[in-house]
Amino acid sequence: MHGTFRRSHGLRALLLFAAAAAPFVAGPYWVHVGALAWYYALLAASWALLAGYAGQFSFAHVAFAALGGYSSALLTLRFGLPVALSIPLTVILAMVLGALMGALVLRLSGPYLALFTLAIAEIFRLMLVAEEDVTRGSLGLQVPGLFSGGSDVPYYYLGLGLVVLALLAMNGLLATRVGLFLRAIREDEHAAQASGVNTTLHKIVVFVTTAGLAALAGTYYGHFVGILSPNMVIIPEMGLVVAMAVIGGIESLPGAVVGAAIVYGLSEILREYGEWRFVLLGLALIVVQRFAQNGLFPMVERYLDGRVAPPGKSRVDIENVPKMEGEYVKPS
Amino acid sequence: MSNPPEAPYFAARTLHKHFGGIVAVEELSAELRRGEIVGLIGPNGSGKTTTINLVAGALRPDSGSIMLDGRDIVGMPAHAFARAGVGRTFQVPRLFKRMTVIENLIVPALIDARTSRRQAEARARETLAFVRFEHLANAYARTLSGGQQKLLELGRALMLRPSLLLLDEPFAGVHPRLLEQIVEHIRTLSAQGYTIVLVDHNLDAVRSVVRRTLVMARGRKIADGPSEEVLRDPVVIRAYTGTRKAVEGHS
Repeated sequence: MHGTFRRSHGLRALLLFAAAAAPFVAGPYWVHVGALAWYYALLAASWALLAGYAGQFSFAHVAFAALGGYSSALLTLRFGLPVALSIPLTVILAMVLGALMGALVLRLSGPYLALFTLAIAEIFRLMLVAEEDVTRGSLGLQVPGLFSGGSDVPYYYLGLGLVVLALLAMNGLLATRVGLFLRAIREDEHAAQASGVNTTLHKIVVFVTTAGLAALAGTYYGHFVGILSPNMVIIPEMGLVVAMAVIGGIESLPGAVVGAAIVYGLSEILREYGEWRFVLLGLALIVVQRFAQNGLFPMVERYLDGRVAPPGKSRVDIENVPKMEGEYVKPS
Repeated sequence: MSNPPEAPYFAARTLHKHFGGIVAVEELSAELRRGEIVGLIGPNGSGKTTTINLVAGALRPDSGSIMLDGRDIVGMPAHAFARAGVGRTFQVPRLFKRMTVIENLIVPALIDARTSRRQAEARARETLAFVRFEHLANAYARTLSGGQQKLLELGRALMLRPSLLLLDEPFAGVHPRLLEQIVEHIRTLSAQGYTIVLVDHNLDAVRSVVRRTLVMARGRKIADGPSEEVLRDPVVIRAYTGTRKAVEGHS
């Protein structure tokens, strides 16, 4: 199918065009919502790489976002560094810490990895709360903005640009043999080792990459919203990122972005229902898991490309297997 | 190739492995010549799979050495064993289930950075032809039958171009007709010069491909020699029929 036009590619182009055109038709409120959605899109897509492709179900992803936000803010506030310097330094710091965490969790998988990373995230949140002198704790840390003027439009386009660049970078990585090795590690680490794959190296590579992207998302969020609080790291925030990735497509990076836009958009549209909107989102998550385990976006893409499988059929037709980015099946 | 003719290609020397208080492998020494094929048999729990895991680098021995082509490879990570030329299959196939057959095969080929994806795929197609799997190239591994999974796993191990091939129960649970095919494959590989260790409970099938058999019981090697002699050895027969005393008395 290489080199031929696919309708799913058309859909991707259309979505990108719609995202770029949105500020011309939407009011300031929805531009603000959209700019925030890009923060979640960066997190959901990088988490999809970490969890969906590489099988590393880490729940410390939002902690890396907070690390990014706080680090860039403190570097500018305390040390007077320009953002042009504080952001790259922050991303490098997060990548170093990502390597450290990757090395710490090398022997952990499944629920053990999830619990360990959850604990790391919680410890980090409590440190943010406790270190009031540095972080201003629960009061929140004021962060300087990136653009003068009150409009959110520059942030919206910055966020969109970051999402597109992150997708290109991650897809570039996945297009190399590293992508194949990561999937092999996800499927069976011992078999990957027996096949000569340096699982240690590749797991650390994926933690480093995704930690850097999460931190980048956090710096964007901090400088855009203008205030940071330890609530960035609460478990429901991580749950939101997971829901976005799973609903959009945990093994599809653009799917995770679409999931983030849908989930965040819906949570705004349904704002008048208060906490009940999260109940609805939870139900949506369950329905998607039951009927479209790979998420909505890959399903739509396959439908557009005429590669649709009969509903409920989980086995792939051996004689005529579609090439696709991956099909999510719950590990048994 | 530079080895003097008497030097073994593979040598395990006094390997020990225990898990907590349980001794899984004790004082195990064995040598293989290049191109030799040996059977490794023994009752359940005798330490065969642990031995395979030690030789494949998936487990680290408590003590002892593993020499491959004159080089001690003990202590290296499992992937380095694979790169050094040790290919293996697992008792229960461990495939990359949500990857296609061809993707399963190209993973080991791509660990060499000089191999392009196109070259890897070309080699994978050769391997597919060897295991007669061409029609399944794009099937997901999880859709294969048990026997087909064993064959694919054999193919994946071959993609490493291994010099030592460890086959852990390749005949277990395989349809009789496929069993014949696997026996035939192993004979072909042996004729092509692969050094092979074959673990299985199907003694008839093992006997039909190997001349030399090693027997383990309770973590120790209790016999090693020409298959016909070894299988007639009363000690081996007693180990299989399960009187512990006799086995202990011998070792």
